Amino acid sequence: MIQLQSIEKVYRTDTVETLAINGINLDIAKGEFLSIMGPSGCGKSTLLNIMGLLDEPSKGLIKIDDQDISRFSDQQLARFRNEKLGFIFQSYHLINDLQVLDNVELPLLYRSSSAKERKALATAALEKVGLSNRLKHFPTQLSGGQRQRVAIARAIVGNPQIILADEPTGNLDSAMGNEIMDILLGLNKNEGTTIVMVTHDESMAHRTHRLVRLFDGSQVQ
Amino acid sequence: MLKNYFKIAIAVLKRRKFFTFISLFGISFTLTILMVATAFIDKLLSPDYPDYKRDRSLYVATMEYKNTKQGWLNRSDASYYFFDHYVSTLKSIDKMAISSYATASNAYVNNKKLVIEYKYTNADFWNVLEYKFLEGKPFGKQEINNAEQVAVISEETKKAYFGDEKSVVGKYISADNISYRVIGVVANVSKTLYNLKGDMYIPLSLDKGNRPGNPELMGSYNAILLAKSKADVPKVLKEYNQMMKKVPIPKDFDKVYSNADPFFESMTRRIAGEGSTDGKGIVITMITGFTLLFLLLPTINLVNINITRILERSSEIGVRKAFGASSKTLVYQFIVENLILTLLGGIIGVFFSLLAIYLINSANLISNMRLTLNFTVLFYSFILCVFFGLISGVYPAWRMSKLNIVKALKAQ
Amino acid sequence: MFKHLFKLIWNKKKQNFLFLTEILVSFLVIFAVFSFLTFYFQNYSKPLGFEYKKVWAITYDNRMLTKNTDSASTFYENLHKSLKSMPKIEEVSYSSSNFPYSNSNMSTVVKQGDKKFDYVNNYDVGADYNKVWNISLLEGRWFLPEDKIGKNKKIIINETLKTLIFGKEKAVGKLVGDHENKEKMQVIGVVQDVKANGDFWPAGSAMFVQPDTAQIKYTSTILIKVSADADATFESELYKFMANTMKGSVEIKHLEEMRDSKNEVTIIPMVIFITIASFLIINVALGLFGVLWYNINKRKGEIGLRRAIGASANAVSYQLVMESMILATMSLIVGCFFAVQFPLLSVFNIPASVYIIAILLSILFIYLLVFACSLYPGKQAARIHPAIALHEE
Repeated sequence: MIQLQSIEKVYRTDTVETLAINGINLDIAKGEFLSIMGPSGCGKSTLLNIMGLLDEPSKGLIKIDDQDISRFSDQQLARFRNEKLGFIFQSYHLINDLQVLDNVELPLLYRSSSAKERKALATAALEKVGLSNRLKHFPTQLSGGQRQRVAIARAIVGNPQIILADEPTGNLDSAMGNEIMDILLGLNKNEGTTIVMVTHDESMAHRTHRLVRLFDGSQVQ
Repeated sequence: MLKNYFKIAIAVLKRRKFFTFISLFGISFTLTILMVATAFIDKLLSPDYPDYKRDRSLYVATMEYKNTKQGWLNRSDASYYFFDHYVSTLKSIDKMAISSYATASNAYVNNKKLVIEYKYTNADFWNVLEYKFLEGKPFGKQEINNAEQVAVISEETKKAYFGDEKSVVGKYISADNISYRVIGVVANVSKTLYNLKGDMYIPLSLDKGNRPGNPELMGSYNAILLAKSKADVPKVLKEYNQMMKKVPIPKDFDKVYSNADPFFESMTRRIAGEGSTDGKGIVITMITGFTLLFLLLPTINLVNINITRILERSSEIGVRKAFGASSKTLVYQFIVENLILTLLGGIIGVFFSLLAIYLINSANLISNMRLTLNFTVLFYSFILCVFFGLISGVYPAWRMSKLNIVKALKAQ
Repeated sequence: MFKHLFKLIWNKKKQNFLFLTEILVSFLVIFAVFSFLTFYFQNYSKPLGFEYKKVWAITYDNRMLTKNTDSASTFYENLHKSLKSMPKIEEVSYSSSNFPYSNSNMSTVVKQGDKKFDYVNNYDVGADYNKVWNISLLEGRWFLPEDKIGKNKKIIINETLKTLIFGKEKAVGKLVGDHENKEKMQVIGVVQDVKANGDFWPAGSAMFVQPDTAQIKYTSTILIKVSADADATFESELYKFMANTMKGSVEIKHLEEMRDSKNEVTIIPMVIFITIASFLIINVALGLFGVLWYNINKRKGEIGLRRAIGASANAVSYQLVMESMILATMSLIVGCFFAVQFPLLSVFNIPASVYIIAILLSILFIYLLVFACSLYPGKQAARIHPAIALHEE
């Protein structure tokens, strides 16, 4: 599903050159649930960004679903992200001025679908994460775990093939964290969604299919 | 403490140059307009050449007949007869200056046409007002009694009529086809003193319209009553009003009004008043209203920008609060910052005002009016700056003091 | 998408309160400016209705002249002949002191049946008045000497008054009443509207009458049309002649100069008003720009998110510009509510079309202003790198 070949990422400022990712090769199969772990500053978020087409590698090749991404224009990348990818962040990134239902609908707005379709899909997504009774609430009225569930609903509402999760349980206590993991595992098993998760939590990581460790920009395991 | 605030304020202003620029632009421009308007009002109201004794003068400009039942009104300047027969009997008056409103006449010199506006005056006119004689002297009681055809002319008229001649006393000037001998030349009067400005001043005994014995109270004259001292002015006013009660009411009407007003009221009565009300309240309300309306948009704008600036610094504010700064301290700091900004804008405004005034004066928009930025104007402008700074700073400061520390810290 | 943006803004209305107020007040200021400009322009584009270029007005003090009706008649007849015979004078007419471009106003009331028409400018005119000004007749004829006798007073009215009283019908021959509805006056002609108050003010209703013989002794204004080569030398001779004849003060004014003064009274305050309004708006524009720029910065996370989810860079800038336009619309709706009272209530008796045009122009102006101010911040938003934006916290 996702192929990374000889990926390098260099950050340049006026004075300093930082090599964030140093020649990584990675193949992720369809339907796989992959965890990426490593100490702070090892480049795992950077790698996730590159996989999620949010950032460009300085060198190397990316292929997703057998398509060579490196030649895509901004428009094409945007479309691709919209149709094939879903994102979950550590700090949820919900829009506080919109109700839960409107937040979940967001990705569908960038496709052509009618208001009725959007509402139906969003409601279904929220049901899957067990929040059907909170449609009209605002994010500020929800707990951390509930917010992350809304974020997951948003990530899956468009039926993406791949979900990229950046420390999804980082801001939650262990009970809530486990709940979230359950939902993600369920998605992976029932819908066959490919999931790549960056995490600090060993116990969470061991519940997934494969674990990749990074250190100083290179793969070590 | 204040010095600290000052240093912080300057640092903050330097940090976000764009916001500072917008704020300064808005403030300085708003204040420039207000300062020029203040200079203009000051020019109108302050004692100005040749009327320097305003604080002990009362101005009589109108005669009004009213029929309150039918709602008819007749209003005009007063007649010479009124001043001569009634007003001169007042004992508390020191002197009275009587003059007609300026009548236009034409003179044709060197194939050019000149409009000469002339005023008839009495002898005391020259004693009450302080005209500056560049040449010659005014006419006095003797010339008036003898109905001598003499004239005092303005500097402008001298230049327009006689060209570059150095001295014109003794020469003749012709207006309305009558020749007058020039006996004095005075410095130009600004048009803002509409009741004193004239191109030529001649003795009122030459006014053929003044038929002796005609008891008509309406005419074309106005007067300035000079009290012996500032404290005497209320006495003069009281005597004047007593005198008015004895003036006969003409046929077809039931009330007669003529007012002796201090300078400001004489202007407001003209604009918004009539015999029974001096219109002062209306004029002051109108001017205040317009100023506030004018300030409305710049204030909203400045408040908007200020709030934006504050919210942008919310993490800094959160940190300060976390380390012990009370809300009060922060509010003071912000208000001081805003005042500094406003005063800076005010200083820039002063420069722009000087420029604007220079341009207005050289364009001679209103003839001979020279605006100045004197201390009165600067003082009022300073008050305006402070006022403006406070109203645009209070609401944002209040908003800022309400920021929750944790939320503010998280915001960045 | 639109509904989504609207929901977003509606939920944030408290935060945007100041922005909305600024737009509202700016709209009202612009509405005032455009109302004035439209009013003046509408009047300016109407035809002048007369020729003023070579017309001079001689005003004089008549106190020294005879008060005897017969002697006065003879005196003025002779004066008319003498003036007309001067080589450089083409037409002569006596007039009341309220001729076009003068600072004098005389108005009266005209009644018809139970309808009342106020503020009808009342001009006393001599026999050749129309020739001095070259006023064109739309119906009927000008005065003839025999009109002075007869049962009903003969009058001539202007186009505006005719339309007010008679609508589209012909007016000649019909009767109207004076202010007490006792005396009936007969219309013998209708003239084109004359813009007597300067180029920027409507002509208003007007009626022209011939003064009675008894009123001739009160005349204090003579209007003359001079030939193209009448210069200052001629004027000084004329002046001497008049001063000697009238034995009082005389003034000769050129209508061209009087017209300029009249127009100045309108133009100068207007110019000042527009200058001040422009600077206020520049102020507002800069302020809006700053506020919008700040708002973008505050929402970096949201923008990064939208990019992650699939919005293209253009979609993001489009969104931000649209948001500002929607905010502007919200203010404009409130603003229009206030502004539309003006045509509905016919404030100041100005035709509704002036206000409607002003409202439309102001709306357009505000939209352009907001669009321009949000364009640059919008483009800046598009350049936000999603990876950086999402990981800033």
